[in-house]
Amino acid sequence: MESAGAAKSGRPLESYLPSLESLLHEVLRHSGFELDFSIQKVPAPPTELESTEYVVEFSGRDADLLIEKNATLLNALEYVLLKAVRLEEEHFGRITFDCQDWRRLRAEELKLTAQIAAERVEETGDPFSLNPMNPRERRLIHLALKDRPEVRTVSEGVGAERKVVILPATPPRRR
Amino acid sequence: MKELIEAIAKALVDNPDQVVVRAVEGEQITVLELRVHPSDLGKVIGKQGRTARSVRTILNAAGMKLKKRFTLEILE
Repeated sequence: MESAGAAKSGRPLESYLPSLESLLHEVLRHSGFELDFSIQKVPAPPTELESTEYVVEFSGRDADLLIEKNATLLNALEYVLLKAVRLEEEHFGRITFDCQDWRRLRAEELKLTAQIAAERVEETGDPFSLNPMNPRERRLIHLALKDRPEVRTVSEGVGAERKVVILPATPPRRR
Repeated sequence: MKELIEAIAKALVDNPDQVVVRAVEGEQITVLELRVHPSDLGKVIGKQGRTARSVRTILNAAGMKLKKRFTLEILE
């Protein structure tokens, strides 16, 4: 596929924005959601923890609808729109849909959850399963615990049910 | 809501002229039947159904605003 090849060979991220903007306008018009949005470049350069280069920021009367139930609608719009403009999935983290600071608040909540769960695993020695999460959230959990030597993390399950399990660290095994 | 599914489906597939959406209205629920070119089925369903699930999330939320129930059937 030509578009996919172009993305891999480094099609600039900016080039996806015009089609993203016009498709999002079309989707909002047909869906009846009372929402506005603006696309902003993130001033800070991307890091290991924060890969976002552009934020699509929503506001308006239906903003609460976007972020209820762990931002199911916000995440669904982000996934479908980024797929539709043919961004390669490995680059999805570079354009982030956000509303009312949801992403930052959710990241803090997840980091706290990860630390509390890790403490429990250290105390009891038993594995602890977190709730199912999307790839971005699972990645955040793995990163939040990567410097905690007493535990290790794995992802288990398929599709929407995939979740992180925190385990006591065991000595590395030989194959 | 038919237009919403049409717009999204046409953007997802490689053959937008082959996208057909038909609305079948029942008393409680409206069924939206989506047909795409066979080679585009994977594009509208996605890995482990993630694309289809996301489209349904958008459809349900938009339906709630209208106080109506919609369901999306992707026909093979």
